[in-house]
Amino acid sequence: MNFRALTPEDIEVFSEAISNFFNLMTRQAAQVKTAYVFKEAAPILWNDFNGLIQVSGGFRGSIAFSAPRGLLNEILIVMGEADKTDAHFLDIVGEIANQLSGRARKHFGEALDISTPISCERDGFPLHTTAQGPAYAIPLTWGPYEAHLVVHLDLVRKG
Amino acid sequence: MKHKLMIVDDSMIIRNHITRLMSDPRLPQFEIVGLAGDGERALALAKERRPDCITMDLTMPNMDGEACIEQLAACLPETRILVVSALADKATALRALTKGAHGFVHKPFSDDALVTSLLELME
Repeated sequence: MNFRALTPEDIEVFSEAISNFFNLMTRQAAQVKTAYVFKEAAPILWNDFNGLIQVSGGFRGSIAFSAPRGLLNEILIVMGEADKTDAHFLDIVGEIANQLSGRARKHFGEALDISTPISCERDGFPLHTTAQGPAYAIPLTWGPYEAHLVVHLDLVRKG
Repeated sequence: MKHKLMIVDDSMIIRNHITRLMSDPRLPQFEIVGLAGDGERALALAKERRPDCITMDLTMPNMDGEACIEQLAACLPETRILVVSALADKATALRALTKGAHGFVHKPFSDDALVTSLLELME
């Protein structure tokens, strides 16, 4: 199949998904910053917890949410979760990656076929994806915390 | 008589969140009879507990939500199914409804949206 890299308009879809998530789930807006392109061929996620969604169908690559413990802790508090073990942090970081990816299907359609989340802690989490185009990091701040959505996707070229 | 509710989602956090919502004063007629983290477990548990209604995630391991809905519709046709999923495209929603779901709530959801949808589901 013939693939193309994502455009800035495609990336904007993910920025909107981040805003929508924080507005609805926490009622406290996140500040979504300008996306930038990773220089490394294989981007490495650097935060405390990382949730990864692999995509297929009309796309190839992955979507990952990378966040510090403090941000995830605050989200769990907002959601009313009393227990905050590493298992809870791994669960919520994967669920956020899932929700942000799922939201993007509103724009891309069901051709964006997404996997169940894979979550892990800091270190040893290189993004082994099949995408060959550039990987984008979309930084966001929420309160005092900074997190990133890392989008590394190629899209099937139509026509 | 209370509505027997089963919650199906591969995220423990989401299962816990929906469980806590059942203490909302607008939902006194719901009681939770089971929790499941994948479609296979959900199907087995539903046959055993025979819930009146189910909140159903779609993207799950082992058996996904669509396959589970299809099988539930065949073996427990009276059970009403509310899909609660991150998959926000129209085609997915329509397919789930065609296979036997009765409503659809997109993640992320507000507490109000889920409460209202559950009430409408059982009207």
